[in-house]
Amino acid sequence: MDELTDNNVFMKIRELTKIYSMGESTVNALDGVSLDIQPGSFTVVMGPSGSGKSTLLYLIGGLDWPTSGSITVADDQIEKMDENALAEFRRNRVGFIFQSFNLVSSMPAEENVGFPLRFSGVPRSNRKARAQAVLAQVGLSDRTTHKPTELSGGQQQRVAIARALINDPPLILADEPTGNLDSHSGFTIMKLLADLNKAGKTVIVVTHDSRMRQFATDTIHLLDGKVVSEDEFIKATESLTQTIEEQGDQL
Amino acid sequence: MRFVDLVSLILYNLGRRKGRVLLTAIGVVIGTAAVVVLVSLAVGLQKNATQSLWGINDLTSIEVYPGYQEVMAMEVKGGGGGGGIYGGDTGVKYLTPKAIEEIKVIPGVKQTIIHDYMQASMELYFGKLMSWGNIMGVDLTDLADMGLEAERGTTELTKGTVVVGSWVPQNFYNPNPRPGEEMTEPPDLLDQNLKAVLIKYTQDGQEVRRTVSLRVVGILKETRGQADGNMYMNLGEVTAFSEWSRGSRIDRNKEGYSYLIVKAEDPDVVLDVADQINALGYMANTPQSYLEGINSFFLVLQIIFGGVGAIALLVAAIGIANTMTMSILERTREIGLMKAVGATNRDVLSIFLGEAAGIGFVGGLGGVILGWGASAVLNVVALSYFASQASEGGGGLPSAAAATPAWLPLFALVFATIVGLLSGLYPALRAATLVPVNALKYE
Repeated sequence: MDELTDNNVFMKIRELTKIYSMGESTVNALDGVSLDIQPGSFTVVMGPSGSGKSTLLYLIGGLDWPTSGSITVADDQIEKMDENALAEFRRNRVGFIFQSFNLVSSMPAEENVGFPLRFSGVPRSNRKARAQAVLAQVGLSDRTTHKPTELSGGQQQRVAIARALINDPPLILADEPTGNLDSHSGFTIMKLLADLNKAGKTVIVVTHDSRMRQFATDTIHLLDGKVVSEDEFIKATESLTQTIEEQGDQL
Repeated sequence: MRFVDLVSLILYNLGRRKGRVLLTAIGVVIGTAAVVVLVSLAVGLQKNATQSLWGINDLTSIEVYPGYQEVMAMEVKGGGGGGGIYGGDTGVKYLTPKAIEEIKVIPGVKQTIIHDYMQASMELYFGKLMSWGNIMGVDLTDLADMGLEAERGTTELTKGTVVVGSWVPQNFYNPNPRPGEEMTEPPDLLDQNLKAVLIKYTQDGQEVRRTVSLRVVGILKETRGQADGNMYMNLGEVTAFSEWSRGSRIDRNKEGYSYLIVKAEDPDVVLDVADQINALGYMANTPQSYLEGINSFFLVLQIIFGGVGAIALLVAAIGIANTMTMSILERTREIGLMKAVGATNRDVLSIFLGEAAGIGFVGGLGGVILGWGASAVLNVVALSYFASQASEGGGGLPSAAAATPAWLPLFALVFATIVGLLSGLYPALRAATLVPVNALKYE
């Protein structure tokens, strides 16, 4: 228990397991993952599809419940929170960024950014002012009244980042933030996340894009729901590639 | 989430799917309009029925007739043989002076007024005009004591005077009209003398006539009841005419009187008093028991009519549930997003319930306006039809075909909103309890 009071750790993840049942069969999306996230760190989670990296991110953000194990932020155990406490946690302590942006297509940028504030009871005029300030922070002060369809992919993702920042949460979680973007826009988004990290946010990014590693303070490799070392990870991916090539030759 | 934000978000969400919301609301419009029109129609029918049947001022009155029921029952038992109704100890409960004493002591009875028809043939003359009258003897000197009011003249009866009901002047006609002569206008009888010719036949068939002069001292206000056709006269005088006609004295202890009007102290005890009089074996009728019968009939009619409308509303409710279910499927990712940025289950539930109730409200509003308009059109059409019928056949004109009571539009609006809310309950609960991560991954 002494670990839990260690002030140098932002988040402790212990023996985290998530089992999805698909009819008769079950899938171990996460299989006993333990991690420490330092405050102000920039953690990049890498792994192939189905390695459980997105599942890990959603569990950290309180969007799903683990089958077993614990996630401790400050002195709160997320897996023990009820619906209302989780909603409050997601509202004030986490900012989410998604691969597909998840913007409300009929709302202009400033309303998309201010959307979370509706659920925190912030009055309308105040919402607008705060949304404009955060949009300026991501470099979109000239796009506040544009609807998502009138913006490029990179701009849409910046609007989504602004939305994640609107409640000033200490933790930013990004699920494949560059996955739908061209390499240039993707790189801009990476730099934006790095800037946020420099400004004090703890950032966790799930990605395929190895360019992200240059900004990372920590890199975690996930394979079949387990944390593995980089060597193991490379070996596994190489053998995987080999198998695929062999199968290709046979064909 | 603040209430204003909730409402503005609901309105925003409804606004961005205008077409679908309006199409769904049309179902509610039809259902609500059906409820409003049909219930208005039932209320209108009820109004016409009660209006044309009874005056409003005699709610404390009970008409009491002799009790024949037991006799008829006995006759059936006895196989239909033997004594007639008037034969000796048949068990007929006549309204004898003793019986009247019996009724007077019932708690709640304020007054009993004897009514007795004149038992003689009579022709009435006024100048050239002729009529048959119905002379009613009452044991009162002032008709105001039983709640009758004079339109003109007085309600007081003295020797040789009559007070006539409002329809009596209309019964006078010219027995020898000249060809092409118009129908006679009802004569003004007030302070005029009528010539009443009483007729009886002796045993050898000889006709005997007796002419009496009756002075009309008052004309009563219309009651839409029995009083309108009566010519009221002092009971003693009427009895004297009856006895002259019969040629012998009337034994009231045996034959009793035609009927009584019993006045109760309070409208609330009328039905109770009537029950007790019936229990004694007499036949008591009250406008109230009649009205109650009519009212319960129309209540059933209103429920049936309202039910027909409610079926239309039920269909609309299924439409709302369908629209909301579709909407929630389409917006699953949006629900996931709302939860990811901090919306509670209650927030999500409130938003979707609010949208469903909003569709119900919009439809209800349209339905109330449409229903109101349709009732008004119905009235115009029906009344002009009635008016053309009435000018041909005569008779009273109904005031309205459909009457919309003030509570109905309000009730219909609230009801439509609640129907919307309830239809949205299942889809909204499903939306609220979605696991955020599943909602976000939904394709």
